[in-house]
Amino acid sequence: MLQHDVLIVGSGLAGMRAALEVSSDPTLDVAILSKVHPLRSHSGAAQGGIAASLGNSAEDSWDLHMFDTVKGGDYLVDQDAAEVLTREGPENIFELEHMGCAFSRDDEGRVAQRRFGGHTAPRACYAADRTGHAVLTVLFEQLLRRGVKVYSEWYALDLVVKDNVCQGLVAYDILSGQIEAISAKAVMFGTGGYGRAFRVTTNAFASTGDGVVMAYRAGIPLEDMEFVQFHPTGLQGSGILLSEAARGEGAHIVNSDGFRFMEDYAPGRMELAPRDIVARAEQSEIEAGRGVTALRDSVFMDLRPIGEERIRYALPSVLHLARDFAGIDPLDAPVPIQPTAHYSMGGIPCDINGQVRIKDLDGAPEITGFFAAGEASCVSVHGANRLGTNSLLEAVVMGRRAGRGILDVVHDLEPTSIDEGDMANAVGEVDHFLTADGSQKVGEIRAELRDTMMDKCGVFRDDAELKECLSEVKDYQERFKHISIDDHGSTFNTDLLDAIELGHMLEYSEVITTGAIARQESRGGHARRDFPDRDDENWHRHTLAYRPQEGEDGPRLEYCAVNMEPRFREPFPLQERTY
Amino acid sequence: MAQQEFIIERYNPDTDESYEESFNVDVQPGQTVLDSLNAIKWDQDGTLSFRMSCRHAICGSCAMKVNGQSMLSCQTQVDAAAERGDPIRVGPQGNQNVIKDLVVDVNKFLNQFERAETWLEPYEDQEPPEREYRQKVEEFDHWSHASTCIHCGACYSDCTVAAVDENFLGPAALAKAYRFVMDSRDSKREERLQFLSEEQGGIWDCTRCYMCVQACPKDVLPMDAIMELRTLAIEAGHVNNHGVRHHKGFMSGVRKRGRLDEMMLPVQSVGIGRLLTGNLAAHKEMMDYTPGAIRLLKSRKLLTIAQRHGANADGREQIERIFEEVEAEKHHHDVDAEAFGAEFETAIGGH
Repeated sequence: MLQHDVLIVGSGLAGMRAALEVSSDPTLDVAILSKVHPLRSHSGAAQGGIAASLGNSAEDSWDLHMFDTVKGGDYLVDQDAAEVLTREGPENIFELEHMGCAFSRDDEGRVAQRRFGGHTAPRACYAADRTGHAVLTVLFEQLLRRGVKVYSEWYALDLVVKDNVCQGLVAYDILSGQIEAISAKAVMFGTGGYGRAFRVTTNAFASTGDGVVMAYRAGIPLEDMEFVQFHPTGLQGSGILLSEAARGEGAHIVNSDGFRFMEDYAPGRMELAPRDIVARAEQSEIEAGRGVTALRDSVFMDLRPIGEERIRYALPSVLHLARDFAGIDPLDAPVPIQPTAHYSMGGIPCDINGQVRIKDLDGAPEITGFFAAGEASCVSVHGANRLGTNSLLEAVVMGRRAGRGILDVVHDLEPTSIDEGDMANAVGEVDHFLTADGSQKVGEIRAELRDTMMDKCGVFRDDAELKECLSEVKDYQERFKHISIDDHGSTFNTDLLDAIELGHMLEYSEVITTGAIARQESRGGHARRDFPDRDDENWHRHTLAYRPQEGEDGPRLEYCAVNMEPRFREPFPLQERTY
Repeated sequence: MAQQEFIIERYNPDTDESYEESFNVDVQPGQTVLDSLNAIKWDQDGTLSFRMSCRHAICGSCAMKVNGQSMLSCQTQVDAAAERGDPIRVGPQGNQNVIKDLVVDVNKFLNQFERAETWLEPYEDQEPPEREYRQKVEEFDHWSHASTCIHCGACYSDCTVAAVDENFLGPAALAKAYRFVMDSRDSKREERLQFLSEEQGGIWDCTRCYMCVQACPKDVLPMDAIMELRTLAIEAGHVNNHGVRHHKGFMSGVRKRGRLDEMMLPVQSVGIGRLLTGNLAAHKEMMDYTPGAIRLLKSRKLLTIAQRHGANADGREQIERIFEEVEAEKHHHDVDAEAFGAEFETAIGGH
């Protein structure tokens, strides 16, 4: 059995920021474990920026940022968390800058800031349009400097919890095929989101919600899983992200008539309305027959109003992506775009110190020694819809807070251990896939699942489609019991990992759909045609989905209150959300 | 829907068997090489292994050789790779050991960053400013290209020096070292320039073949960074090393005789002063040249004293003029050292 004081799973911004914080205590042995090398983590794909009210470009304040965040999240945001996020934003940015982050600069030599959807001030700090990459790189560099142990290309199989005390992890070394137990007094999940269950997505192949499902299987309820953000500017077909920074810099979105249709949906903000609103507007235009290209399944984003020089300087990745992946030069022509599954608002419930806990239960941690941060978690700073550039900020701020949360308790935690019995689930799962001899194929089930989720649990939802969706997901779960894989080897067996990941996708897809059926209102990223209005009386509350016990047919749903108690100001009262 | 043949270089670690395998894939317009590999993996042979993640050229996982050149398979269109309907050959990256199929052991490449300590070393003797350090747009723009590295290893895979020298830091690590040398927030500029000058496998081992710039899927321009590091290192006074002596010997030979002076070059590279003062290491270095020199002599590549006359008087005059012109020209990347120093002070002071 391998052993560390602290084990962090996932090596994106949240995981690495937390590890860096924990490593400031030289008496602690901290390790990071990730199924991809840290530099491959999906945080690196974030393009447009990281929000903080530095006020470098225009007057700004943390409570303005907080208000934008709460409103952007359609008031499902926990206000204690949004307060922490926005108050601590600037110092976190300066800290990254001091670590050497390659932020673009303004004329005064300060960190440059630009506009982003749903933010009333220009507060997106950026590194051209590769901000995530810049932050990810700098955090990894500093981890190397600290000499933090990294289990690179190790796949976490199972979270071990005994008597409500987290013991550690069972993990699979992708290179050797060995299964190892790794005990730790504190485990943190920064394992990312779950967008891969949708056909059109910006998410990396790796974003399969592994951590979320491991927590769920360990008995922790998942919060607000039905809230999935569809980003309005995915490249047609592949769904590859074109940064919102394009709109921040002045790109227009037009329908087949050449009309900037946001005029009809959010005249006050036009293209810079929050993502859920722009995505729905696009979908409505497409469904009304005003889509573009032969398929009529997309609308146009026109970058030309920005001007060639600025496009080249501020949006080089957008320029390259459109050229390389759509064969279109945005300097000459508009780019067809469509809504694409982008961000997972839901996840593992935790408090503002990263401690995993079930809210509304008087503060006592449910599971000792288990933390979460970033997209895998649900604090909830994003509520029903995340604003652009708040995700990187959350990963950094909450990653640091989780690191400090761990430092606060870890010295008082007892050493843990994992025995063979605790490893049985993980060993059994791997063994099952390696020896299964059914006729079903992972690739086929996965493709069908992604179609189902996209078409029936997408930008707009209704009861009938969602119920069909759920029934299809259950069919896939059944078929998944009868699969076989081709690769039975022990070295770099990605066929095996595909199967394990599909198991995760099938499990959380059921949770998303179940939560979506139950929530009979429209709020943020969850838009019901049959319940088009927000219903605060009945639904201003978080969903908590528990894994079914023996005899239960599906996830058991409970609900808990939204936090309305920020410490340093009055809470923002619920208002109608218009832009 | 067109069909495209892919020939994949495969390796099975369980049987230690290398072989080529051909697959036919239906391709749609816009399909990438990575899409095609996935089509093979998901529909034809699940045992095919390769790394991938973001599929839009930012995570750096899927660099591999396509028709002999390293590139990101996610960024490579099938149409562009398939010339004249030929099969597309896909193989693992070069200069690294193959683990399975298209998966290589990236540690050798990634370890170079640790060796070069490519992370920011803050100033120890002072607190950072309350807000951000100030950096002028021009300063940032000067080096930011080198910060766009996605660590995909394409440059290292195709590097002609890494192919023969295990010690070479490689284009990516050197470009990243450059990024910190240039960044006014870093406190180890001097130490870095010294290390990069004197380390075996440092800046002087690049042969300027340009393969790294060609292979890089981003805008890093590793070789340009290495060349600028050389200039900076010389300016900083790191001249007493093999690389600089070789460089100068090379130049003085050409300037004097209009041709490469193979006889004198080793002596100049090792250092005449070092040899004359009886430096044992220097004499050992000379001895190391002997086998190579004998080979050159045998193949008549090494000119004897009688043959070393070089260019005639007219030719030498022209050569001298070229040298003078080049020396008068400012290097396009050259940084005004004084101005840099001043900016440096402002930056450290922050607000």
